[in-house]
Amino acid sequence: MMLAAFADPVFDSQRTFRALLQAMARPAAPRALPVLPPSPAPIAPAAMAIVLTLCDATTSVWLQQPEDEAVHHVRFHAGLKLVEQPQQADFALITDPMSMPPLEAFALGAPRYPDRSASVIVQATAIHSLPCVQAEAGRGVHVLASAQDGATPPQPPPASRGGSTFAGADICASRGGGTFVGPGIRDTQTVAIDGLPADFWHQRAALAAQLPLGIDLFFVAGQHVLALPRTTRLLEG
Amino acid sequence: MTYNFAFLDEDTKRMLRRALLKAVAIPGYQVPFGSREMPLPYGWGTGGIQVTAALLGPDDVLKVIDQGADDTTNAVNIRRFFSRVAAVATTEHTAEATLIQTRHRIPETSLREDQILVFQVPEPEPLRTLEPREAETRTLHALADYGLMHVKLYEDIAQYGHIATSYDYPVLVDGRFLTSPSPIPKFDNPKLDRSPALMLFGAGREKRLYAIPPYTHVESLAFDDHPFEIQRWEHQCELCGSGESYLDEVIVDDRGTRMFVCSDTDFCSGRRAEAQA
Repeated sequence: MMLAAFADPVFDSQRTFRALLQAMARPAAPRALPVLPPSPAPIAPAAMAIVLTLCDATTSVWLQQPEDEAVHHVRFHAGLKLVEQPQQADFALITDPMSMPPLEAFALGAPRYPDRSASVIVQATAIHSLPCVQAEAGRGVHVLASAQDGATPPQPPPASRGGSTFAGADICASRGGGTFVGPGIRDTQTVAIDGLPADFWHQRAALAAQLPLGIDLFFVAGQHVLALPRTTRLLEG
Repeated sequence: MTYNFAFLDEDTKRMLRRALLKAVAIPGYQVPFGSREMPLPYGWGTGGIQVTAALLGPDDVLKVIDQGADDTTNAVNIRRFFSRVAAVATTEHTAEATLIQTRHRIPETSLREDQILVFQVPEPEPLRTLEPREAETRTLHALADYGLMHVKLYEDIAQYGHIATSYDYPVLVDGRFLTSPSPIPKFDNPKLDRSPALMLFGAGREKRLYAIPPYTHVESLAFDDHPFEIQRWEHQCELCGSGESYLDEVIVDDRGTRMFVCSDTDFCSGRRAEAQA
């Protein structure tokens, strides 16, 4: 039997959009999605909420695992166009990040139109914000807090500044993630994202040379979403 | 006749929402969008209204200002429009609002992280008066070639001895895109820098959206020997006595008597209420 979509399409998508907008405006900070619609495997409910909120007949979507039930579901409820190649996608849905294509396989936009670029939704295993540091290294939070205090005025340090790591970043980096700076982040934002390929952050850092071209990422895990627009930089450890 | 919630159909809202997310992801870059015909003419805030309609939910509290005032025609009509098509709560108090649509001012009261400011923009392209061709201005943005604007500001200095641009003063967002802050007085430009609130800009006639995310570096263009300066007045507001707010000069009778009053009506009435209490 086919699953339902949003119970209240107008207001559920409005509330989801506001969460996504704040997520994109305040990168690397996880936030809870207000509504989780039913979704067929392998699509997670949080990813389905994003698809139903943003995609329709005018968007091209690439599914990493286009299984029949998932394809029927998104076609029926969102009426979206499915494409064969990641390069053609406005939105890509990564349901198995460990075998995802390289980030450069997605559209980065054109120099005159950097907005013509992919938004990639990645279903991560877990997202941990600052408490992961606290849980795994008692002194992590303390060191991180002092680093934030020292960051006034909050001019983001250039990503190339090496050797300035602190314990919190190390812990989170070892789990995939780290400390981020960029527009939307007051000082720094530390987060760990589990379940990504080992070279994911290197691939992403390599794209930064092409700014303002790039791709914008939504990570989902459970009820949470976290956005990393192209301008958010991972501080090198 | 009834309309969909907040007037626009859901396909249009989705299109606007996708464009807004790209706008936030590329700070200061103008994202093209399919601007719809609205029940008021271009130039009256159709861009801002479409952005507001894409954002608005039943829990929002909307404030609309025009040149800082809640009680002018444009502000009153847009506020009534949304209370009619979205049954949304409205307010005149900056601190109570979750969403503020503005024409040509940023409120004096500091904004918070949980507020969003929506600007009505007549001309989103800061280079347009210097270069009329869209294809050319796009190329200049792609190359981050903003020499034209520096020459324009330099010519001001050469002619007048100072930078004479007093509103719509160009800014560089996150060190990359030259951006129009909309025709706010340059007095408000410092409020754009590292604002806790998200700022969204909509230009309906020109069909462009752009954004300045929170805590983003926004630099008003200037020269080392001619630093950026904001307007200053020798007067204080004659109603509330404020010496820090942006003042309007108002002619109050047929003999040309003038008075200076706060342009932000909520800020001014709040101060007067405080003084009386």
